Amino acid sequence: MSLDAPRRADAAAQSFAAVAEELLDDVYGYLLYLTKNWALAEDLTSETFETALRKWRRFDPRRGTHRAWLLAIARSTALDWFRADSRRRRREERAEAGELREEREPAFGEGFSPELEEGLHALSAGEREVVALRVVLDLDGEEVARLLGITPTAVSTRLHRALAKLEERMRHHDVVA
Amino acid sequence: MTSSPELIRALEAARPTAPIALRARVREIATEEATPAAWPRLQLRLPVRRVAMVAMPAAVALAIVTAGVTGLARSDGTTEAFREQNLSGHLATTDAPEVGAPAKTQSQDAQLGPLLPADQGSAIAPTTDRAQRVNATLTVEVSDSDAVSRAAQQALDLTRRLGGHVVSASVATGEEGSAALTVRVPVARVQEAIVQLSSLGRIVSQQVQIEDLQESLDALERRERSVRAQIATLVARLDTESLDAATQARLEARLQNLRSELRGLRRGISGTNAEARMATIQLTVVTPGMLGAVPVPSRLDRTLDEALDVLVWESVIALAIAIVAAPFALVAFAAWLGRKLYRRREEDRLLAT
Repeated sequence: MSLDAPRRADAAAQSFAAVAEELLDDVYGYLLYLTKNWALAEDLTSETFETALRKWRRFDPRRGTHRAWLLAIARSTALDWFRADSRRRRREERAEAGELREEREPAFGEGFSPELEEGLHALSAGEREVVALRVVLDLDGEEVARLLGITPTAVSTRLHRALAKLEERMRHHDVVA
Repeated sequence: MTSSPELIRALEAARPTAPIALRARVREIATEEATPAAWPRLQLRLPVRRVAMVAMPAAVALAIVTAGVTGLARSDGTTEAFREQNLSGHLATTDAPEVGAPAKTQSQDAQLGPLLPADQGSAIAPTTDRAQRVNATLTVEVSDSDAVSRAAQQALDLTRRLGGHVVSASVATGEEGSAALTVRVPVARVQEAIVQLSSLGRIVSQQVQIEDLQESLDALERRERSVRAQIATLVARLDTESLDAATQARLEARLQNLRSELRGLRRGISGTNAEARMATIQLTVVTPGMLGAVPVPSRLDRTLDEALDVLVWESVIALAIAIVAAPFALVAFAAWLGRKLYRRREEDRLLAT
């Protein structure tokens, strides 16, 4: 599948449409892991590409790949949403003290086994994020460290802890089943 | 039971794929790229770091160029200023009407050339009808130590020929000879003396100072006449009147004081007249080595000096601005750092759920 957007006059550079086509799955996958909500991940993906289009002229290939740049925008977009959601929740808690609505637990969607989905639910957003980046999207440790603003060692530690936790949860699921 | 490799394989197998609807939505967003705006906005976004990397060297270069241009422009003016400074020509007149106060003074200084033309004598000539104190200072340069001796001897001969006398003389010979003479010549012939002494070598500096003594002399003479009259009156009273002993003693004491004052006045008048009759000339004869003259700096030197001055001023201004701006910059940096730390902690909190 290809996007039929015309290429920019600058032949040396990839067009935004081509980059979006190539990296859409990565951005969506990352946001899905981060939010564990496919509907929200879709919204944030759209928002990410809108932002990326606005900033497209400012992209500097010397400072990183298109993928790292898009993932950084996606992360920033998701964190903004988390902030807004956190504020909204606090406001609602104050307004409806004791009458909190039980929101339906979001889902990862198709392609995830029940035990994997349950295991991922047990992880924190930070842990899911590092799993997505290192395992699913196969970014190297340095790239992930730059993206998250932490050291490569911290990335390894976080990944190891996340996988152990996920494995434990899945083992528990197996035992229960 | 799930082991890590299996888990990783499971995670890779479950790699999410964007739904078709989302793909279509992103495609739609991407098509906006190709749609040119009716009125394309001029995007002039300059990254701060790049701007700083260009602006800083540009500012330094501008400061240096400004200093260089200013130095070059001023180096011409500096020539005149240097000459004026070294000529140090000035003319001053001071009135002193009262006795004991500074007397009326005229002076003329000159360096690097005679201000007293040989055919006209001193530009400020002493007047013959008024009592004046005339002081002249001359420095002449001669070629070598032998010439110093010759010039000193000629100066002494000239002094005697003009009816003057030598107050002091010091002649040093050797590799770099010099002579310092103080002579007094009749005021009436001082112009002639200066002209002739100036011709002993190249004039390096020359100063003639004329101080008017006539007013103080007149005051002394008036007081002398008054004292004489008082003495005559007292003598007449003492000779003709029959006085009691106390009055006679008082008048005699007063007479004695007046006579004493008269003697002082006569000495003063005599000294002033003597001062006004003879002019003092201080002559210094030097060789080029002794003179230690500072050569006139070249235009390049002057340009560099001026440019350095401008640079120093620019640095002072920049430093002042930095000092004023530093607290604000510090506060801004602290605010930026605080905000960054706050956001990092907030992110950690948000991602911990």
